Amino acid sequence: MLPILFAGALLAATAPSHSVQIDHRVFPGLAAMDGNWAALFAASDGKVYAGLAYHGGDGHLVYYDSKRDEVHDAGNLTQLCGESNLRRGPQSKIHAKFGEGKDHRIYFGTHGGNWWNYARFATKEGYPGAHWMAFDPAANRVEDFGLGVPKEGINTGAYDSLFDRIYGLTHPRGHFVYYDVRTRRAVDKGRINNFESICRTLGIDDEGNVYGSFGDGQVFKYDPRTDAIRELSVRVPIRPKGISFGRDYSKSETAWRTVVWEKQTHRFYGIDESATILFSFDPKAGEDGEIRELGQLCIPGFEKARKIPYATLSLTLGHDRKLYYGAAGREFDYGGSEAAAAAHLITYDLAAGKIEDLGEMLLADGSRVLGTNAADTGPDGTIYLVGAIEVPTKPGVQPEAGGKIGDVYYRLALLMYHPKPR
Amino acid sequence: MRPHLFLLAITAAAPLLAQRTPDYDFSVVRQTRIDLRDLGYPPLDTIPSDESAIRALAVSPEGLIYGATSGKRSHLFVLDPQHGYVEPLGWLRDVTTVHRSLVVSRAGDVYIGGSIGVDNNGEGYATYPGGHLLKYSSKPQGPRPDQAKFECPVNDLGIAAQGDGIYALAIDPEREVLYGLTYPTGQFFSYDIQKAAFRTHGRVAEHHIPGEKFEKDRLIGRALFVAGNGNVITSGEDGHFFAFDPGHATLRKLPITVPTVPGREPYNRVDAWTSSGDGFAYGGTSDGYLFRMNPDSLMVENLGKPLNQYRIRGLAFAPNGKLYGVGGDDDEMARLFSYDTARGVYQMLGMIDVNHRPYYSWQAYVIDALVIGQDGTLYLGQSERKSKLYLYYPE
Repeated sequence: MLPILFAGALLAATAPSHSVQIDHRVFPGLAAMDGNWAALFAASDGKVYAGLAYHGGDGHLVYYDSKRDEVHDAGNLTQLCGESNLRRGPQSKIHAKFGEGKDHRIYFGTHGGNWWNYARFATKEGYPGAHWMAFDPAANRVEDFGLGVPKEGINTGAYDSLFDRIYGLTHPRGHFVYYDVRTRRAVDKGRINNFESICRTLGIDDEGNVYGSFGDGQVFKYDPRTDAIRELSVRVPIRPKGISFGRDYSKSETAWRTVVWEKQTHRFYGIDESATILFSFDPKAGEDGEIRELGQLCIPGFEKARKIPYATLSLTLGHDRKLYYGAAGREFDYGGSEAAAAAHLITYDLAAGKIEDLGEMLLADGSRVLGTNAADTGPDGTIYLVGAIEVPTKPGVQPEAGGKIGDVYYRLALLMYHPKPR
Repeated sequence: MRPHLFLLAITAAAPLLAQRTPDYDFSVVRQTRIDLRDLGYPPLDTIPSDESAIRALAVSPEGLIYGATSGKRSHLFVLDPQHGYVEPLGWLRDVTTVHRSLVVSRAGDVYIGGSIGVDNNGEGYATYPGGHLLKYSSKPQGPRPDQAKFECPVNDLGIAAQGDGIYALAIDPEREVLYGLTYPTGQFFSYDIQKAAFRTHGRVAEHHIPGEKFEKDRLIGRALFVAGNGNVITSGEDGHFFAFDPGHATLRKLPITVPTVPGREPYNRVDAWTSSGDGFAYGGTSDGYLFRMNPDSLMVENLGKPLNQYRIRGLAFAPNGKLYGVGGDDDEMARLFSYDTARGVYQMLGMIDVNHRPYYSWQAYVIDALVIGQDGTLYLGQSERKSKLYLYYPE
């Protein structure tokens, strides 16, 4: 049985397959930006926001105005935080999800880039800490709420418009924190998890409760009414340990990778990080909710493979009630990836319970999408992702790129897929 | 490929990972010398998150390791080294903080000093009746399901000082007297076990630490040392040592200060004490200096600053003759070091981390208690929302 499974995995990874054409926009003047994780948001006015990471330097907040088909740089994050003259660890990333307030401002927290094995943590040259911020599209300016999390970054985040709060999990110490916009109060609720296994997505239900994953597939719930965290008894489906020593040493495989809230059924849909296991989580079923395993959203052929790529953060719910997932063709982490492979777009139809691989994501010129780590759905139903696209090289010309994946130059791009109407 | 070249290749290939890389193993204590214990039997029969910060540890004459936690509620627990697991003994009524206030008498009774928070600008103390001194005398019976959900059976010995919590405790086992400091007003008290009587002897700090208008704390020593002659040493206002003479029942401000850089005295206090066994006291300061004191002559030697961090929060001598210490403030990352008193040499042992993946891994960023067991194992109490008890095996 095992040789057949491995043969299947090899076939999926090497054989030509069908493809799906993806529209894209690059970020002009920001070709050196080297990554994007989770930070993508399609706002109600058609603007699409992204946080572009730059390790060792300043990250940028950018947005795409879909009505005008224009990409704008909203600013250098270190500058926006007023820290350009500090000469300390820069604001290199927005590493978490944005959210839109009732005032239509876009809320987020910042993050550091390099951590130097924490040798510089809490030192005079180390990262000063994350800022809570809001971009006001009407005024086209960012408001800095100040240093909210000293010495740590916002690793994971979410905004809740009901309670007008920006939530976060910090890196490296794994604290659950929030910023209450109305009272301008920054709160630290303490340690949730260990640094190498901080869950990458906080889910918020329609009552403003916040959920995250910790421990060995456990789930916690923060209730803003009681300001208390409760650890639930439900467990996220996780592949048994011991399969992937190499990867597990650097990345945990114990948490959900991402979840999205589905308003119609009042459930979260999510994937785990170990084997892209798709699950639903009904937080109101019983005392602690109910989790059901629904399948796997990896590229077909990888399901049982030892080298199934680590799950990405690219999961969104389309207006057609399909989940859209940007699946990696190989282990993908931008410049940290060993080799390049085309990413696929996979769907899961909530109504039919059917998984479909739409194929390799290719640009109009045939260039490959090498991986994605953020997704959202626009008000018109467009599926947006941010990821790495292949940069063709010409002899004697230095390519405009954020880095290399294996031997292939890449740069960041906003990717667009337009689902066919049902 | 040589091991370190292989390591370099791995780390160079993965510069963007926010997760652990193999070279991080060189920043933490050697993994064959450290392990941890959950505070009970997870996932259910444990001291819960938000109630698990360990800020006090003590060793009984029979070798049991007792610990007390802080958070939304305080709990008492015990570890019998013969069994090796942590057994919750129940929560403590009306106590949310046990800070350096856990001692065991020669009879094996456990004394617990309660409070509702420390080093917090006195928050909550305006209406607080006062911290109770509690005594736990039951013998652990072996693991009982759900014990962490039940109240710990203790005798209430009363309030040490009206309106104050208990900040630190020490015991003179020979004379059967407990000594303590209170928070937020810094009163020095004694409790005579035989007479079951409290007595206060004055304050170690009368004024707030020089600072901004929002700063309300006083400079109260975080630990007390009972010398062989029965005198008790701690620190207080302006960084001065204070000595209590039980013969005359007098508390004296000494003309010597806790070692630090000149000018920092009003911000520096004793953070931890231990005895070398040959009559000397070794102390750690909140500015992160190690010092040695002769309790008879009151001569103090500054032994330097092992870490470029604040605080030395725990000290203990191991059977190998070395002094082990742990440092780092609440917003730093705790590190372990040792000091060879014979050679005057420090060894940096790294951050407090257990990496036993795929089974478990957990780094402690804040350690607030350290004791040594009778078999030479160091026990380190983590003080965070979700905390563990760490075991370090000195060479």
